[in-house]
Amino acid sequence: MNKSLDKVFAILWKDILSELRTKDVIISVPVFALLVIVIFNFAFEPDRVRLVASGVLWVALTFAGVLGLSRSFAVEKDQGSLEGLMLCPVGRDVIYFGKMLGSLTFILVVAIIVLPIFFILFNLPVFKPELVLIVFLATIGFASVGTLFSAIAVNTKARDIMLPILFFPIMAPVIISAVKATELALAGESWGSFSTWLQVMVAFDIIFLVVSSLVFEFIVEE
Amino acid sequence: MKENRVMRSNILLVVSFVLMIASLYLVFVYVPTEKEMGIVQRIFYLMVPMGWLAILSFHIVFIGSILYLLALSLTMLKRKRLSRCWKVVSYLRKRERKWDTLAYCSAEVGIVCTTLALITGSIWAKPIWGVWWTWSEPRLTATLVLWLIYLAYLMVRSFATEESRGARFAAVVGIIGFIDIPFVILATTLWRGLHPGPIIFAGGLAPPMLLTLLISIAAYTVLYFSLLGRRIGLREVGTEIKKLTHD
Amino acid sequence: MENFGYLLAAYTIVWAVLFGYVLSLIRRQRQLQRQVDSLKATPRKKEGN
Repeated sequence: MNKSLDKVFAILWKDILSELRTKDVIISVPVFALLVIVIFNFAFEPDRVRLVASGVLWVALTFAGVLGLSRSFAVEKDQGSLEGLMLCPVGRDVIYFGKMLGSLTFILVVAIIVLPIFFILFNLPVFKPELVLIVFLATIGFASVGTLFSAIAVNTKARDIMLPILFFPIMAPVIISAVKATELALAGESWGSFSTWLQVMVAFDIIFLVVSSLVFEFIVEE
Repeated sequence: MKENRVMRSNILLVVSFVLMIASLYLVFVYVPTEKEMGIVQRIFYLMVPMGWLAILSFHIVFIGSILYLLALSLTMLKRKRLSRCWKVVSYLRKRERKWDTLAYCSAEVGIVCTTLALITGSIWAKPIWGVWWTWSEPRLTATLVLWLIYLAYLMVRSFATEESRGARFAAVVGIIGFIDIPFVILATTLWRGLHPGPIIFAGGLAPPMLLTLLISIAAYTVLYFSLLGRRIGLREVGTEIKKLTHD
Repeated sequence: MENFGYLLAAYTIVWAVLFGYVLSLIRRQRQLQRQVDSLKATPRKKEGN
């Protein structure tokens, strides 16, 4: 069990290191998220946009997440590192969890960069522990299914379009829950008011982490 | 074997034709007009069967996908370890491709039914609620998401680099998608729960309406299985051609 | 009898689509079956080797 855990972290660390070396994805994706937020502000009247602030945030994070996921896996595929990983005597679910943690870390970093700017642009209360939890749960959902689907998309002819087509319908429950929960949290409501949404996300995360790890091997085997 | 399937499909087609005539009679002649909604309410007898078929065929996509992946994984295991359930194992393994065919054909017929469900739902909505579409009805939203998942399933197959990989990718999408649907229904229901949206029926169903509905569902379900059988037969002929041309 | 147009539209569309789908399946089946038959009819040269 410990050995597997070590391998998972080894894979995670490898991904972090390779990203730190190039830094291209970690810089471009937050910029993209920011641009999405700015465009939304141009698209709506100022008073209206405040009403949909929560939605704007999550649209930005979703698009950014998809962009980041597809770029990470594309680089991996082009360099053949995934095949290299497959040659190691490593369980496929271990690879899955390693890559999933990598995607998770990546999206969390993007969120950490984007959130403060979001708060400033929307004049919203800067820090709330509720939001941390919501973002964390939603991001686990993104990473669990996103890792699986990026592995699929990267092996298709139309990489860029395939990931959103696979990802968005499946993520609908998470996006709905995240937006509603964020809305309530930003309005200053108590934890109880959005606990249902949190429960939905927790259930989603657990179930899809398990299922994705079981099914991952069928995608990466030649 | 092929002839059996074609014959079965034709029989089913005839049976469904008979049931259709019956259901049409019931829908247009027998059933009384609903008080509040008027004559348009009869679209209900079209919409519910389509919605039911959309769900039924996704169940079949799910079962086919799971059995396909199961068969794939069992191909790699050795005989000795599984001697106890060898019968089951060899049954699954031999039909490996057939599970995938089942899932694929069900997805194709399924997306047709889902499209019709959305269209009839929309045509129903316009005179009743005044809009072609509403996000307030969780069932409608969930059907749209289901349609998108069917689309993703079919697209992943055609965009894959090789057929075998495409089959595996699609099976994964089928499984993930199926598990996702309850979450979608839950989330959309909670989402709209606070605003009492338009509901489909105020009271229960009167007996003549229930009968009409059941016969209609039966008619379309039989038609569905007839179409499924035909589509599977078509795909198998296609596979045979590929085998012959590869020799 | 208001809204009869909607009712008619719904039934027409559904039946047209289903009917069209059945026809397309039958047509494709015949095409492919002809292909199979012609492939089987050509003498298989490789058998001699």
